Amino acid sequence: MDPDSSSSSSVLIGRQHRRDFLKRLALVAGSSSLLAELPWWSPLRAAPVGDSPADRVRIGLIGVGSRGSLHLAHLLRTPGVEIAALCDDYEPHLQAGLARVKGAKGFADYRQMLDMPGLDGVLIATPLYLHSRMCLDAFSAGKHVFCEKSLAYTIEECQAIADAHRGSNKVFQIGHQRMFSPVFLRALDLIRSGHIGQITQIRAYWHRNGNWRRPVPDPSLERRFNWRLYRAYSCGLMTELASHHMQVANWFLGAHPVACAGYGSINYWKDGREVYDNVNLVYRYADGTQVVYDSMISNKFYGMEVQIMGPKGTIEAERGRLYAENPPPAPGIMQLINGIEHGFFDTVPIGGPSWVPDLKNDAKGEPLVNEKITDDGTAIELAAYANSIRLGKPIPEMMEQACRAGVCVLMGETAMEQQKEIAWPEGFRI
Amino acid sequence: MNTRFSLVLVDIDPERAEALAAEAEYDLRAHERIMSRFDNEGPVAELNRCAAESAITPSHELWEILSLCRDYWQRTRGAFDITLWPLNHLWREHLKRGEEPTEQAIAQARRQTGFERLHFDETARTVRFESEGISIDLGGFGKGFALESLAGSLRAQGVEQAFLSFGESSITVLGSHPHGPAWPVGITSMFNPSQTVHAFHLRDASLSSSGTAPFNRMAGPRPFGQIIDPRSGRPVEGYRTMSVASPSAIEAEVLSTALLVTPRQDRAELLSGFSIISAVEIVYHSSAGEFAPSIEWQYGS
Repeated sequence: MDPDSSSSSSVLIGRQHRRDFLKRLALVAGSSSLLAELPWWSPLRAAPVGDSPADRVRIGLIGVGSRGSLHLAHLLRTPGVEIAALCDDYEPHLQAGLARVKGAKGFADYRQMLDMPGLDGVLIATPLYLHSRMCLDAFSAGKHVFCEKSLAYTIEECQAIADAHRGSNKVFQIGHQRMFSPVFLRALDLIRSGHIGQITQIRAYWHRNGNWRRPVPDPSLERRFNWRLYRAYSCGLMTELASHHMQVANWFLGAHPVACAGYGSINYWKDGREVYDNVNLVYRYADGTQVVYDSMISNKFYGMEVQIMGPKGTIEAERGRLYAENPPPAPGIMQLINGIEHGFFDTVPIGGPSWVPDLKNDAKGEPLVNEKITDDGTAIELAAYANSIRLGKPIPEMMEQACRAGVCVLMGETAMEQQKEIAWPEGFRI
Repeated sequence: MNTRFSLVLVDIDPERAEALAAEAEYDLRAHERIMSRFDNEGPVAELNRCAAESAITPSHELWEILSLCRDYWQRTRGAFDITLWPLNHLWREHLKRGEEPTEQAIAQARRQTGFERLHFDETARTVRFESEGISIDLGGFGKGFALESLAGSLRAQGVEQAFLSFGESSITVLGSHPHGPAWPVGITSMFNPSQTVHAFHLRDASLSSSGTAPFNRMAGPRPFGQIIDPRSGRPVEGYRTMSVASPSAIEAEVLSTALLVTPRQDRAELLSGFSIISAVEIVYHSSAGEFAPSIEWQYGS
């Protein structure tokens, strides 16, 4: 069913459908006691959205390219959201976006959009180098801000965004959707309740096999379309991919790294690009934990994963599985082992025939969440953004998460470019 | 084999134990590849798919396994039979819905079962099924076969004390418990796990249990099991288990099902051809809404 279609009843059904979906997701994630203390979940516990105009939040999208149009699709289905305006300086994208939203105003310049009366907040899905000026302008215009990851192009810009947000009393949301993924929440819950023991290492990787290029309608648009490949606009694999897993690492470790070192190069896609096609880094944390990260785009065999390891187990959060280091034996066998170890000569109690096949295959681990979940957190993070605007309360901790991850990947980029260890910026203030 | 395998080694260097466990896992996976009917690429699936159309030459190992199954089929007078899948499947599908299959359906499935419908050509070493729909299932044989082979290789490597278990329904022990003269294994009540109904004392021996379990205890008053009596084409009724201790893991496995479907008066004669140590049948009777176990048949020590 397409909830964006023209008939109003289908819009209602679509929204109802969406509400049920969000409620169900919240239930899945809410089975975890963790959520009681997870601050950024609070907007989602708010009362359900009514249909009155007062309940509507008016949002403008800046950038309706590939990620932006995905957000557009989600926002169209988010209860209580009105997409009031779209902005893109590439006319075909803007027109394609406007064709999907009835009544939205179109802009080529985001500053004109910010001047538009009645706009509550913006969603920024533009190339990295534009994030900071757009965030800063939006905050000065008194708007709430959802900014796609990674936060900004330089550490100074990250600091400037954090400074502008502090005291603004505006909602800030960053596009690190794993914070809103029921699977990642469950992973954190299991970690906190001791299922893997102390986290002793996190290893993350993101491997693809492809040139990472977007088709360009005209050669003059190469740098605008393929901005991810040019150093003036992006830090390539670090800001566009690594930031997700570094956010998770910092979140789960409850800290930012103190230093990092690593190497990167262009060893395969020598096609004029300026950003590395493979990156390899180690991040050091104050408590002695290391996060090992690598990414490449010339082999996809291992795909992508974040592996959280401890003496008692491993969590693969992307796959959503927990692997125990020493799976507990069957009860009868456990009793036998205890008896042998303590010098007892006891009868091993067994239940006769195995009635139900024991399907648990320890080599395959246990699923973190049993329900089939199709949302990776994007739908929920947008609902959280809309709800907190409606409530007029910023989402706690979002700027911390955004800055830690954003600074982290920029440290990594600098470490590789300068081929030396880079320390966390002293005095960085969130 | 759709169950958990446990290996307990005693008083052994941890590194050596890890190596033995890894080797056991490797061997088990190899056995599973040969015997599983659920592996679509495996030799049993191939046989089930193609042997009605033309004679198939199984691998050396599978040929040996099928020959062993034929011996046991003969020696148990048909009580052990690896061709019961069509009947098993028919009953399972109906009982899940709380129904019984019709007499015609049972008769139809019976025409697709019976070891005599597998034709062996000893000279060419080929197997051919008599008709479409015949399907073999090594589920009641594989665990015993794997245990026997694993125990042999552990002994050959000098292991003298060990406890091997498949989901606790098939057990093989080497030597004795480190603190006693045997490995004591207790069969607990299926309705009360803290009650041991009978204890076996195993020394260099194997124990296998088979039994009937309700597909769905809520479905109705009459429990049905997963053990099909090849002579009637119907499942063994009631809640009952048969546990057999034997020097041979394969014989324990084969006989735990064969004895369950053999009338009590014929069991002693059947067993005269085997070297089993002991066997116990436990039947659960309902009184005042509770199921109480009683040992209703026993053989040997």
